[in-house]
Amino acid sequence: MEYDYSKLGMTTAELFSRQEHSDLESEKITAPRYSYWQSVFKVFFRKKLNIVILALLAFVILFSYLYPMFTEYDRFGQLLNEDAKHLMPAAAIEKFGFSIKWILGTGNAGNSTFDAIWNGARISVSLAFICGAINMTIGVILGAIWGFSKKVDTVMMVVFNVVGNIPLILLISVLVLIFSPSFWSMVFALTVTGWLGIAYTIRTQVIIIRDREYNLASKCLGTSTIKIAMKNILPFMTSIIVTLLAVEIPSYISYEVFLAYIGIGLPDMSLGRLIYSAESAMVTPGWGFEFWSPVAISAVISVVLYVTGQNLGDASDPRTHM
Amino acid sequence: MLKYLLKRILFGIGSIIAVVVIVMVMIYSLLDPIRVFAQDAVYNKTASNQREIYRNTRWKEYGYVDFVLYTDYLQKQVKDGEIDEDTRAAAAVIGKTAEDDSPETEEMVRKFTEEYQAQGYTVRRLDADVNKRGKYKNGGQQQLFAVRNRPLAQRVVEYFTGLLEIDSVHYVEEDIEDRGLTFTLHDPLYEGKFSPAIIGNGTKHKYLLYCDSTFPYIHQNMATIRLGTSYSVNTGLDVFYTMTRAQGSYVMHPTTFPTGLQEESADDLHSATYLAGSRTSSLIYENRFTDDYTVVDTMKGGLSKIGYSFVIGIIATCLAYLMGVPLGILMAQKKDRFVDKLGTAYIVFISAVPSLAYIFMFKAIGGSLGMPVTFDVESPSKLIYVLPIVSLALPQVANLMKWLRRYMIDQMNSDYVKFARSNGLTEGEIFRGHILKNAAIPLVHGIPGSVLAALVGAVITERVYVVPGTGNLLTEAINKYDNGVIVGVAMFYAMLTVTSTILGDVLMAAVDPRISFTTKDR
Repeated sequence: MEYDYSKLGMTTAELFSRQEHSDLESEKITAPRYSYWQSVFKVFFRKKLNIVILALLAFVILFSYLYPMFTEYDRFGQLLNEDAKHLMPAAAIEKFGFSIKWILGTGNAGNSTFDAIWNGARISVSLAFICGAINMTIGVILGAIWGFSKKVDTVMMVVFNVVGNIPLILLISVLVLIFSPSFWSMVFALTVTGWLGIAYTIRTQVIIIRDREYNLASKCLGTSTIKIAMKNILPFMTSIIVTLLAVEIPSYISYEVFLAYIGIGLPDMSLGRLIYSAESAMVTPGWGFEFWSPVAISAVISVVLYVTGQNLGDASDPRTHM
Repeated sequence: MLKYLLKRILFGIGSIIAVVVIVMVMIYSLLDPIRVFAQDAVYNKTASNQREIYRNTRWKEYGYVDFVLYTDYLQKQVKDGEIDEDTRAAAAVIGKTAEDDSPETEEMVRKFTEEYQAQGYTVRRLDADVNKRGKYKNGGQQQLFAVRNRPLAQRVVEYFTGLLEIDSVHYVEEDIEDRGLTFTLHDPLYEGKFSPAIIGNGTKHKYLLYCDSTFPYIHQNMATIRLGTSYSVNTGLDVFYTMTRAQGSYVMHPTTFPTGLQEESADDLHSATYLAGSRTSSLIYENRFTDDYTVVDTMKGGLSKIGYSFVIGIIATCLAYLMGVPLGILMAQKKDRFVDKLGTAYIVFISAVPSLAYIFMFKAIGGSLGMPVTFDVESPSKLIYVLPIVSLALPQVANLMKWLRRYMIDQMNSDYVKFARSNGLTEGEIFRGHILKNAAIPLVHGIPGSVLAALVGAVITERVYVVPGTGNLLTEAINKYDNGVIVGVAMFYAMLTVTSTILGDVLMAAVDPRISFTTKDR
């Protein structure tokens, strides 16, 4: 009988077809070699867009660390030079001669906006990475324990409900005031309760996977809990952890900007402080660059980090490797 | 179900109490109280013993310590009839050092010391600070006082017992005639028209229950919620009152005062409260009032702080659901096509870019389109609401799109959908009747939360557009060390979060019959 396969939405390639028997072929093991991380990167680099974004991310991070290292940035170097303040890029280049330093004009103290945003970016990116690393480590480990033990679960749920109700602004400002505002007190304030949310997400995922049939079978066969955690559950977690990182790291940059804006910021000129102190420049005609440059750079860094993390998270899900 | 709910509510109250205790520990015990004086000009002007007194007086106001001056103690003794005025006058003057005291003073100081030390106070005597010639230095007068740190337990108990203030006929301490409540069908303020009211004499408020033409038409003053008294943000007023009281310019209207005087006034006579001896204290009051219920609120044209936050927040939330739900459905339907990619780009933008950045962007774009960018309470134009609402709604839209798309795509691969398809249902029927219904359940859980979150206000949006809402109350209180307000606002936030999770669970169980919180039903 002849079927019109295209009507069923199938091609002839999908149908069974007769194969000649071959002794040589039947001896081969047909499953392809599989390595987890290799597959992750293969899937990740399959999309050309990811390469571009990764390159951009590498550039932004390297530049924000290397540029301030090799250039002198004196914020108040031209404080007394009235003519040097709030210059548009064109005027600044005309005044000081063409240099990469002046392509974004000058700020309220005659300082180079270009230098300011990269110095700020270095501080903000460092803060985001350090907080992300600390919160992730604590959150994942405690979240796993939280998900596995029913006793820990009852205690931690109460802690989570209570601590989650304390206004974060209050907690952070009190901690920053106690330890005097500095980079490390900000790190402490952001990490002291920041891991709770991550741990809660991990806990929920662990509970979902923990009681799956294959884990039950594994348990019946006498596998130790640690081995179940490491071999059966952790691979499932990798993509969730990477996706979480993609959300978390930009969120610290965002949070730092927010805190600086309401007046509880770092003492250093981070991106948040730059935006906060240049707020009046937004509405002043001709001063726009000193306000929009830090806004734009924080947006670019966050978006690039976020997209890289999301796509890496997708790639690290074993289900996409087929 | 009821038993489960009661348990949840009890747990909720427990966690609210825990939050208040933690916040109190943080602001009263962890922070160095000397910070209160960082920007206090008076503190810097005072010196020596006087500074010590000033510091403790302020700390008492901010709620850090219990503090009693020796002279105040004597005044109280006279009032209670323990000693007479002559004894007080004789004992009031303390010597430059303890040795210089007169016998009467010595006797009273001993009593004072014993009484307060028994209550856990430290009695401190600051000897006169004199220069070489025996003259007082600036602020160097001798002082005697008792001071103690307020114990946390006492603070917590006092806070929670003072949360609800019930008015009673014994509020007024002075002797007044006809203490009691009167029920009238004709409110005297409406010149004998029918309007039921309960009027009290001896109570704090004159009108305990009355009707007027504004929502909800029947008003009461019997019970007042007190979340915490402010010292610097809104001196002497309660946080709840600060949040709920109308703002803006006065609304003048013809008023007939109890004496019969008629004039254009903004006074709201229904809000009259008692202040002993106030009527005779000023001619203005004497011409208008017939009793000591003279402290009246004024009527103002604007909304309250909560009002502005809620109007903006609730419209933004409705708008977000109206836009986000169809867009999320569209994205799921056209998965991996152009619409989906465009939507994803928008979601990435909102999730990754700092909220401050895109709010400023909306402000700049709106401003260039000719929209008003700063909120003006007096402006009759409703256009001022547009930009704050848009700034609040667009991130919510992204969030709804993200989750609805995720949930719907998860549902699309499930077995029951394949079964429905194989049974011959059209894609439209499957989408509307099956996938959407199931995917919407987790979203339903968030509805009470987003409605109640509108009451809290949005810190950045309100600050950027200068909206007089509740969003900035906490940051303002933190900056001004207003401990009463901090505790009150933290308590208010905690109450809203607890309520919204409970309501969300209830709503979810109501929408989805499969969800049950009792083990028996399962």
